[in-house]
Amino acid sequence: MARSDIIVGVEVGTSKVCAVVGESGREGTLRILGVGLAPSRGVRKGEIVDLAIATECVHDAISDAETNSDAEIGSVSVAVTGSHVRSFNSRGSILIPADRFEIDDEDVQEVAVKAREVNIPPENFFLHSLIQHYYVDGQDGVLNPLGMVGRKLEADFHIVHGVKTRLQNTLRSIREAGVEIDEVVVNSLASAQAVLDQHQKDLGAVVIDIGGGVTDYIVYENGAVHHSGVLAVGGDHISNDISLGLRIPLTRAEKLKTEEGSAKMGDAPPGEMIVLKNDAGFSGKEVEREMLNTIIHARVRENFELIRRQIEQEVPLHLLGGGVMLTGGTSLMRGIKDVAESIFEMPVHLAREVGVSGPKSILNNPQYSTAIGLVKFTQALRAEEDEPGIFGSMLERIGGIFRRK
Amino acid sequence: MIAYPKSGSPAAPQLSVRLIGLGNAGVHLADRVAMSGLAGVEVIAMNTDSQSLVSSICQRKVALGEKATRGLGSGGDPDVGAQAAEESMDEIRAAVDGAGLVFLCAGLGGGTGSGIAPLVAEAAREAGAIVMVIVTSPFSFEGRRRSAQAASSLAALSRLANVIVHFENDRMSELASPRSGIGETFAASDALLSACVSSLVGILRGGGPMPVGLSDLLSALGGGSAAGAFGRGEGTGDNRAHDALARALKSPLLDRGRLLDESHSVVVHISGPSSLTFAEVSAIMQELGKHIGENARLFLGVATQAGTADPVGVTILGNFATDGESRVPVPVAAPATRPRPEPQRDVPAVSEAVPQVVVHEDPKPLFPEPEPEMPSVAARQPREPKPAPKPAPVPAKVKQETLQFESVARGRFEKSEPTIVEGEDLDVPTFLRMRGKAK
Repeated sequence: MARSDIIVGVEVGTSKVCAVVGESGREGTLRILGVGLAPSRGVRKGEIVDLAIATECVHDAISDAETNSDAEIGSVSVAVTGSHVRSFNSRGSILIPADRFEIDDEDVQEVAVKAREVNIPPENFFLHSLIQHYYVDGQDGVLNPLGMVGRKLEADFHIVHGVKTRLQNTLRSIREAGVEIDEVVVNSLASAQAVLDQHQKDLGAVVIDIGGGVTDYIVYENGAVHHSGVLAVGGDHISNDISLGLRIPLTRAEKLKTEEGSAKMGDAPPGEMIVLKNDAGFSGKEVEREMLNTIIHARVRENFELIRRQIEQEVPLHLLGGGVMLTGGTSLMRGIKDVAESIFEMPVHLAREVGVSGPKSILNNPQYSTAIGLVKFTQALRAEEDEPGIFGSMLERIGGIFRRK
Repeated sequence: MIAYPKSGSPAAPQLSVRLIGLGNAGVHLADRVAMSGLAGVEVIAMNTDSQSLVSSICQRKVALGEKATRGLGSGGDPDVGAQAAEESMDEIRAAVDGAGLVFLCAGLGGGTGSGIAPLVAEAAREAGAIVMVIVTSPFSFEGRRRSAQAASSLAALSRLANVIVHFENDRMSELASPRSGIGETFAASDALLSACVSSLVGILRGGGPMPVGLSDLLSALGGGSAAGAFGRGEGTGDNRAHDALARALKSPLLDRGRLLDESHSVVVHISGPSSLTFAEVSAIMQELGKHIGENARLFLGVATQAGTADPVGVTILGNFATDGESRVPVPVAAPATRPRPEPQRDVPAVSEAVPQVVVHEDPKPLFPEPEPEMPSVAARQPREPKPAPKPAPVPAKVKQETLQFESVARGRFEKSEPTIVEGEDLDVPTFLRMRGKAK
C-alpha cells in the first residue's frame, strides 16, 4: 500500500518559484493541500544565474507553502529545464543466454543499460530513460516482457540528458534553502503528468508548457514519451518584444501583455488605441492595439512553428489523436489557443490538472501544473517502490531517476 | 530621355526632369540624389550661401542674391531670401526654362528655403513645368518663429505646386533608433526623401505593359485639398510579389495600409523583371484591394525591366483628402495642373499609347539603409485662401508606429546566452527578424 504522506514539488521558474504540497492518500489518491509562491529573481531562461538570490526565493516559496498547507516540508521534488536539456530516442538490444528462454528482471535492466550506451557529451548527465516499448524476437509493442519466452530482447527508450553543472545549480538552490531532494524531473515530463490522463497518453498528445523563460514540450504516443524538448523562449520574450517594438519600459510591457495583449491578429478595430497612463518615470503614451497584438502574434506563432517542426521530425502529427495541451503561465494569453490550432491543425486544449483534488484555484491555474505534476510523478514513483510489482523494484535509477512514463 | 523606344514604335515624347535643391537643406538633398546618379535628371543647386554651393556636387549651381547677401546666406530671414531671389530672378528663370517637370527640394523654416521656394515654384509654373515640391518642416524645438515661416511658405507653395510631398522633421526620430547617431538619423531622413524622388521619377519613366503617365499621377495626387500617403516595398524570391506588397504596406506613413482605405485615389505601380507574371500582378492587386476603399479611383501601372534578377517593387501613392468635397480650382493660371494637360511644350507625360519595353534604372539599390523605401508624407495643402495650414497632414494615429529596424535588439536578453535555433537568434524580437527576412 502506498504511504499516506506529504509530497512537495518545487519548480524554480523564470518568473516565479512555486512549491505545491500534496498529500498522498491510501488508495493512491492525491490531494493538494496548498501552494507557496515567490516571485523569482536570479533565474533567466529557466536557469539560475544568481544562486544567492534564487536560494532566497526558493526559501520564501517553501516557507510560504508550509504556512499555506500547514505541513512541514523536509524534502521536495524538483523540476529542471533549460536550453541545454536534450533528448533522443535510442534502442537497446540483448541476446538471452542460451541456457534459459524466459526473460527475467536482469535482462530488462540490461537492455536499459544498453540503450543508454550512446554518446552524450562528457559534461552531460542522464536525466531520464523512459521506456517506450519492448520487442521480443522482433515482435513489436510488448509492454512487459517479464516472463516471456524469447531469444532476443530489444527496447526503445526516450533519453533525456542535460549539462550536469547547469542542473546542479538548480539543485543547489534547493539544498541551500534547507530541504532534501527526492526526485529530479524534467519540466515537460512533470507537466504532462499533471495535465494528461492515461487515455490521452495512449491516444497520443502534445503538452506545451510555456513558462516565463522557456517553453517545454513533450509528445506522448501509445502511452509512452516519444519526443521532448526545451525551447528557451517564453513569456519574457513576448514582453521583451513589446518593450522593444513599442518603446516602452519592460515593466510596462509586461503589464500591457497581461492586461491587454492578445495573440490573435485582426480582432482589434482598426486604429483602436490603448492609453498608457503616466506614472513615475514614464510619460503617458498611446499604443495601437493591433500593433501590440501583431508583435505578440509573431512571437507566439514562431514559437509554435518551431515546436511543430521539431515534433514532426520524430512523430507524424496525425498520429496524435489527443491533440495539444497548452499549459504554463503564458497559456493564459488571450487568443493563444487559436494560434496553436492554426499551426498544429488539430484540437488544442487549455490544460487543466487531472486526477488530483484540492482547491479549484490551484488546480485551474496553469502556472502550477509543473509543480503539481511533480507531486503526481513522485507519488507514482513511491507507489512503485513500495509495491514491488510488475517491474519489481528494478527501476533503473542512475543519478537522477529512471522511470517508465 | 524618359524611354528608349524600340524601333517601330512612335517616338516617345521627351520629358525634361529637373531637380532643384534650394537652400542648405535642399542642396544637401540634391547632392544626395545627384550622388545616387538618377539618370536623366538634371540636378541644380540653388543657394544664397556660396559655401554650400562650392561643396555641392550638382552639375549646375545657381548663386542667388550675390549682392544682397554677399554670398553669406540669408541668415534665416525670408525677407532677405526674397530680396536675393528678386535680384537673381533671371538666373532662376533660366534654371527652370524648358523644364517639363521640376522637383523642388527645400528645407522650410530658414531664409532661403522658405523665402525663395514659392518664387522658384512660381517661375517654374510660368515656364510651363509641372512642379512637385518636396519639403521638410523644421523641428518643433527650433522655435515658433521658424515654424511660422515654414507654415506660411508651405501655404504659398501649396497654391503653386502640383504635388507637395511634405516631411516633418519631428518625425525623423521614427526613422532611426533612438540610440543611433544624429548623422545617421539625418541620413535616414535624406534617404527617405531621395527614395521618394527616385520612385516618382521611376514611375514616370516606367513604360512597360501598363505605364502610369504624369497625367494619371497629377490626377490622383494633385488638385484639391488633399494629403498624400506613400509606401514602397520590394521583394525577391519565391514569394516576391507578396513580400513587396507587405513591405510597401508596412510603411508607417500608410499606417499599415489603413490610410489607403481613406484615399479617394490611389496609384499603384508594380515594377519587376521580365519574369513578372500576370498572376503575381493579380495577386498583388487582389491583396491590395482589401486595403483600398470601394469608391477609390485606382491607377495601376506595371513596368518590366530587361533584367531577370531584379526584385519586384510595389509603390503605392495615395491621396486621402481631409475634405474630399472642397476641391477648389487652382487660383494661379496653370495650364498644366488639371489631369491630362494638353500636350504642350514639354509636358507630355509617358503616354499610354506607347507600348514599349522600357529599360529604366531601379532606384532601390542606391539606398543601402535598412528601410530605404520608408514612405514620406505627400501632403497637399488645402487651396482655400485660409490662414497658413499647420504642416500636419497625417493624423496623429500614425505617431505610435515605432517598429524600427535595429541591427541587434535583444533588450533584456542582451547579456544572456543567445538562443539560437535553426540559425536564428530567438532573443531578437520575431517581428524584427521577419522584417529582416522580407528584404
